Amino acid sequence: MNEQIKVPKIYIDLIDQVFEIEKKVESLTESNSISRNVSRLKEIFEQLETDGGLVYHNPIGEAYNETRTDIEASIAGSSADNLIITEVIKPIVRYRKGGITLIARKGIVVAESKS
Amino acid sequence: MENTINFGIDLGTTNSAIAKFVKGEVIVFNNPLDYGRATLPSVVCYQKDKIIVGSQAKVMFGKQKKDAFTQAFFKRKMGTSESFQIKSQNRSITPIELSAQVLKELKTFVNTGDNLESVVITIPASFDLIQSNATKEAGYQAGFKQVVLLQEPIAASLAYANMKKSKELTDGQWLVYDFGGGTFDVALIRIKDGEMKVIDHEGNNFLGGADIDQMIVDKLVIPKINAEFSFENLEDEMKSASGKYNSKYYVLLSRAEEAKIRLSAVTSAEIVVDGFEDEEGNEVDFEITITRSEFNDLIKSSVDGTIEMIKTILTRNSLGSKDIQFTLMVGGSTYIPYVRQRVEEILQIPANCEIDPTTAVAVGAAYYAATKQKEISKSDKQQKKSAISIKASYNKASKEKDELFAARVTGETENLFYKIVRQDGGFDSGLKKLSERISEDLPLVENAYNFFTLTVYDSLNNVVETDVEPIGINSGFGISGQPLPEDICLEVDDYDNPGHTRLALIFQRNTILPTKRTLTFPINKTIIKGSEDEVIRVKVLQGSHLALPEANKGLGFVLITGKNLKRDVSKGSDIEITISLSESQDLTVAAYLNMADQEFKETFNPKERHTPIDLLKEQVEDLTEKLEEEIEQATEKEDYETASALSKLKKEMEIVAEETEKLNDDDVTDDKYKLEDRKRKIAQEIDSATKHKRIQKVKEHYFETKQECLKLIDENGNDHERKTFNDIVSQEEAFMSTNSPIKIQEKSDELQSIIGQIKWRTPDFLTGIFNWLKGEQTKMNDQTQAKSLVDAGKFAVESQNWDRLREINFGLLDLLPRGAKEQITTKIGFGL
Repeated sequence: MNEQIKVPKIYIDLIDQVFEIEKKVESLTESNSISRNVSRLKEIFEQLETDGGLVYHNPIGEAYNETRTDIEASIAGSSADNLIITEVIKPIVRYRKGGITLIARKGIVVAESKS
Repeated sequence: MENTINFGIDLGTTNSAIAKFVKGEVIVFNNPLDYGRATLPSVVCYQKDKIIVGSQAKVMFGKQKKDAFTQAFFKRKMGTSESFQIKSQNRSITPIELSAQVLKELKTFVNTGDNLESVVITIPASFDLIQSNATKEAGYQAGFKQVVLLQEPIAASLAYANMKKSKELTDGQWLVYDFGGGTFDVALIRIKDGEMKVIDHEGNNFLGGADIDQMIVDKLVIPKINAEFSFENLEDEMKSASGKYNSKYYVLLSRAEEAKIRLSAVTSAEIVVDGFEDEEGNEVDFEITITRSEFNDLIKSSVDGTIEMIKTILTRNSLGSKDIQFTLMVGGSTYIPYVRQRVEEILQIPANCEIDPTTAVAVGAAYYAATKQKEISKSDKQQKKSAISIKASYNKASKEKDELFAARVTGETENLFYKIVRQDGGFDSGLKKLSERISEDLPLVENAYNFFTLTVYDSLNNVVETDVEPIGINSGFGISGQPLPEDICLEVDDYDNPGHTRLALIFQRNTILPTKRTLTFPINKTIIKGSEDEVIRVKVLQGSHLALPEANKGLGFVLITGKNLKRDVSKGSDIEITISLSESQDLTVAAYLNMADQEFKETFNPKERHTPIDLLKEQVEDLTEKLEEEIEQATEKEDYETASALSKLKKEMEIVAEETEKLNDDDVTDDKYKLEDRKRKIAQEIDSATKHKRIQKVKEHYFETKQECLKLIDENGNDHERKTFNDIVSQEEAFMSTNSPIKIQEKSDELQSIIGQIKWRTPDFLTGIFNWLKGEQTKMNDQTQAKSLVDAGKFAVESQNWDRLREINFGLLDLLPRGAKEQITTKIGFGL
C-alpha cells in the first residue's frame, strides 16, 4: 500500500508558477539575475519543514510508458510506441522528508512517439 | 467478523469507486496510484505480458501501440454479445471480462485488510435483466462470492438520506441528475411506505465533462488564436492525429479543464496559449480570458438538452415541478454553478447539492451494503493456502536511473500474478504473470531511498502471502554519507524571552550528509557602515536543539560588523544564512545581507575547533549571569533542591570565569578549548537542573491557555476553531511526554492563536482595544488619520458594527510608533 500525502493546494499553485518562471528565464538571452531568485524560491519549498519540503521535477525529454504513475499523460499523434515527453504542462511535485520521497502532485505532460 | 456486506462499488462508465461502511460512517478508499482521487478510470489496457487498469490505461485509449489493446466505455456494451478483438493475442474479450478487471483493480484500493467476498455493485437505472446479470457475472469473475446489485440513482439518494441522518424519508419523489465525466443520466425516484423505487429515467451516453473541455478549446480558444495569428487550418492541424499541432491540442484540453474548474469558483479564468509559432513565424504567446458568462453561453445548449430530458420524464409521468421535492445533483460536472442554476431556474425545482457528487454513488452503495447480510457458505471460505517463496536480488545502492530487479520464485506459480509498485506512487509495473524467474527494471527517484513492494495475487486479485521483503534501493546520495551524530542548530535571539537566545534547529540528528539548508531572517538592529558597536553573529552549534545554547558545542562562527559592510543595513532587512555540511562534516556558513548585496562565507573543519577568545569570554560572562539569575529565582520560589544544585556550580563557574579573563586574545595553547569544554559542562548542568522548572512553567502556561481557549470557543468559537482546538488537545499526551519545553510552548502558541482569532471577533475585546487605542491617540504618527479613524470607531461602537471596528483597530495599531517596547537587547542580530 502506498503512502499518500496531501499538500495544501496553494503550495502546488505557487510551485507551478515558479516552474513557469524558470522556463521563461531559461529562454531569456540578455544577462539577468532572476535565476538567483528562482533558486531561492525553489529552496524555500525544499525547506518547508525542518528536514523536508517540496521539490519539483521537469520530465521533459524523458521516456514515457504506462508504468510511470508519476505522470498524467496525453498522447499526441496516433502511435503510442516509444513515447517521449515533449510538453510539460505541470511538473512532478514530490514531498521529500529525510531520504524518503512521496508524490504530492503528478506531472501533467504530452508525450509523442519518436518512431 | 462482520456479518453484513459493508462494501459498495460504483462501477461507472467512465470512473469507478469503492467504499466501506465502518461503524456508522462510510469511507471511500483512495486510489493508491492517483493522488487526491478516490476514483479509478474504467479503462483496461492489455499488453503482451501485463494488464493495466485506470489512469495509465486511459492515456493509451484510442492510440495504436504494438501488442497492446485498450478499451473504455465497455459498460455501454454490457449484456450484448459484442466482444472486443485483441489482434496481437489472437483472442477476444467480453465487456464482462473488462468490467471484472476494473472490479479486481478496485480491490487493491482496500487497505483495511478485509478479504472481499461480498459486495454491492451499482448499475444504471436503464439496465435490463440481461445487463444486470452481466454485471453480476463480472462481480463473480472478479472473485466475489456474493454480488448484490443496486441502481445508481437509489444509491445516490441513500447517500443523501444518510448524510441527512433521516433514513426514513417522507413519502414523495425527487430527481437524481447525474452529470459525470462522460455520461449523463436522470432518474425519477419515488418513495412510498418506506420503499424507494426508480419510476423513470433518461440519459445521454455521450455527454460529460470531457465534452465540455473540448467545447472550450474548439469554440472559444481556437477561434481566438485564429483571430490573433495567421493559420490556414489550425483546428484540423490540432485535432488530427497526424496534425502539426496535435500535441498543442492536448495541452489546451488540459488547460481548458483547469479553467473550467476555476470558473466554478471565480468569474473569469485565463488559458495560456504558448510554445509555438504561426505560419508567418510569429511566436504564439498570449492569454485568453474566458468569462463565466462566455462559458455559460457555451454549455447552455448541452445543459438545456439535459433539462429537456427531465421535462420528458415529467410529462410522461404527468407530473409538474411542484410534485418534485428536489433535484439531487450527482457527478463531477454538477460542480459547475451554471448547471445547478439553470436546472433550478428552468424547472423551478430546488437543486440539492449537499452530497459529494463524485463519490455519492459508491457511498450510497456502502450504506446499502451495511443493511445486507453476508450469505457465504463456510466451504467457500476455505482458501487454498499458497506457499510461495521469493528470493530477490538487486543492488541496494545505485547511481543509475533504474536498477534491475530479479527474483527466483519457488512454489506453484500457475494462475498467479504479481505487481511491483514504488512506494511514492510513481511506478506501477502492471499486473504480470508470475513465473519461476521474474525481472523488472525499477526506475529510481534520484537522491532518495526508493522503496518498492512486490505483491502476488491469485487470478481473482486476492493477495497471496509470500515471504518477500520490501525492496529498498538507495539512489544517488548518502551511499557513502554518514548520518549526523547530533542536531546542528543556529543560535538566535529569543523574542519570547528578551535579552536571551535560543536554538533554531537546522539539521536533525541522523540527517544524511552531505546536506544544505538556507534560512532567511529579518535582522533586528541597524548596522551602520564602519561602526563596531552593533554586530551580527552567526553561530552554528552542535548538540540537542532543545538544550540551552551555552550547553552545545560551537562548530562555526561568522561575525559581521559595520567595518565589513559596503553600506548601512537597516533593521528589518533580510539576512540569508546558508549552512552546508559536506560528507566529511566540513561546515560552510554563508551569510548574505540582501540590503548590502554582500556575502560573508567561511568554511570550518570539524577537526580544527573554532573558538574565538572574545566570544568565549562573552559566553562565560553570560553564563555567570544566567547562573546567578537561576539561583535567585530558585531561592525565591523556595525550590531549595535546585538552588543547592546550582550553587554547587557557582564555584566552578567562578574559576572558569577567572581563567578565561586571563587568556590573551592571541593565546595559542589548548587552554581556550579546555575552558570552553568546562563552560559547556556547566551549561549542561544548569540546563538539567532547571529543565524541570522550565517544563513546569510551560506546562502551567499551556493548561491556563487551554482553559481560556476552551471558554472562548464555548462562547464564541466556530467549528473550525473547535476542530483545531480538539486536534491540539488530542495530541496532548504525546507532546507532554516529550518533556520538551519548546514543543509544549509551540502548542500553547497554537492555542494562543485560536484565542486571538476569537477575541478579535468579540465586541468586548474590540471595544476594549479601541478604548486603549483612543488613549494612545496623541502618540500616533498621523494625527489627522488617527482622528478620523477614532471618529469612525466611535460610530462603529454606537452602531455595533464590529467588523468595521476591527478594521479601525488594525488601522490605529498601524499608526502607533514603533516605540520603546521593541527596543530589546539583542545578542545575535536576528531571531525567532
